[in-house]
Amino acid sequence: MNQEKKEKKPTEVTIQRDGPIKIKGIFRFRDSSGKITEGEQELFLCRCGGSSNKPWCDGTHKKNGVPN
Amino acid sequence: MDKTDRKYTNGEITVFWKPKLCIHATTCYRELIDVFNPRKRPWVNMEGATTEEIIRVVKLCPTQALSFEYNKDHHEEELANAEVVAPEIDAEVRVMENGPLILKGNFRIFDTNGTELRHMKMVSLCRCGTSNDLPYCDGSHRKTGFTGK
Repeated sequence: MNQEKKEKKPTEVTIQRDGPIKIKGIFRFRDSSGKITEGEQELFLCRCGGSSNKPWCDGTHKKNGVPN
Repeated sequence: MDKTDRKYTNGEITVFWKPKLCIHATTCYRELIDVFNPRKRPWVNMEGATTEEIIRVVKLCPTQALSFEYNKDHHEEELANAEVVAPEIDAEVRVMENGPLILKGNFRIFDTNGTELRHMKMVSLCRCGTSNDLPYCDGSHRKTGFTGK
């Protein structure tokens, strides 16, 4: 029944072409103020340096471009 | 128990809500708006979904502001299921102020071509967009004066 312990899948980090860094899985996220969110989550983080809502992507890369 | 704490039951299980622990991660209502609706009072409607579905979403709460217990008269089988462990955390993402993203632990990383990158247990990824070694951080953010929370 529930005897088998489920293998946890590794958290997946995808550097999206012309877009942000996507992180999906079960992990701990610590922001620059030290605040932690833990558990299953999917995040899109700015990697173009231009977001007005860092660390989150706000779509600014579409205007500024982002190196691949 | 804090006096702001609340509980809600559907007869089978009781869901506990500790507002002081809530960081408004929005997981519960994005997953199950028929049960967890912050615009309604009471904001938890235990009739909005099956017990299994409610349990699934309660377990996703990142801070355990939401928790649940099976009600006493419930079958033993389900009590056993209540012990399904919280998923083990084996990976950490850390945002450095004015700097990169630090990844530690069990990750798979894919580049913009979808190719999986081999990596060490700890990796730092560029957030400023000016690294000469993308997707990794090469310290360029210090030269370019990158700022970012």
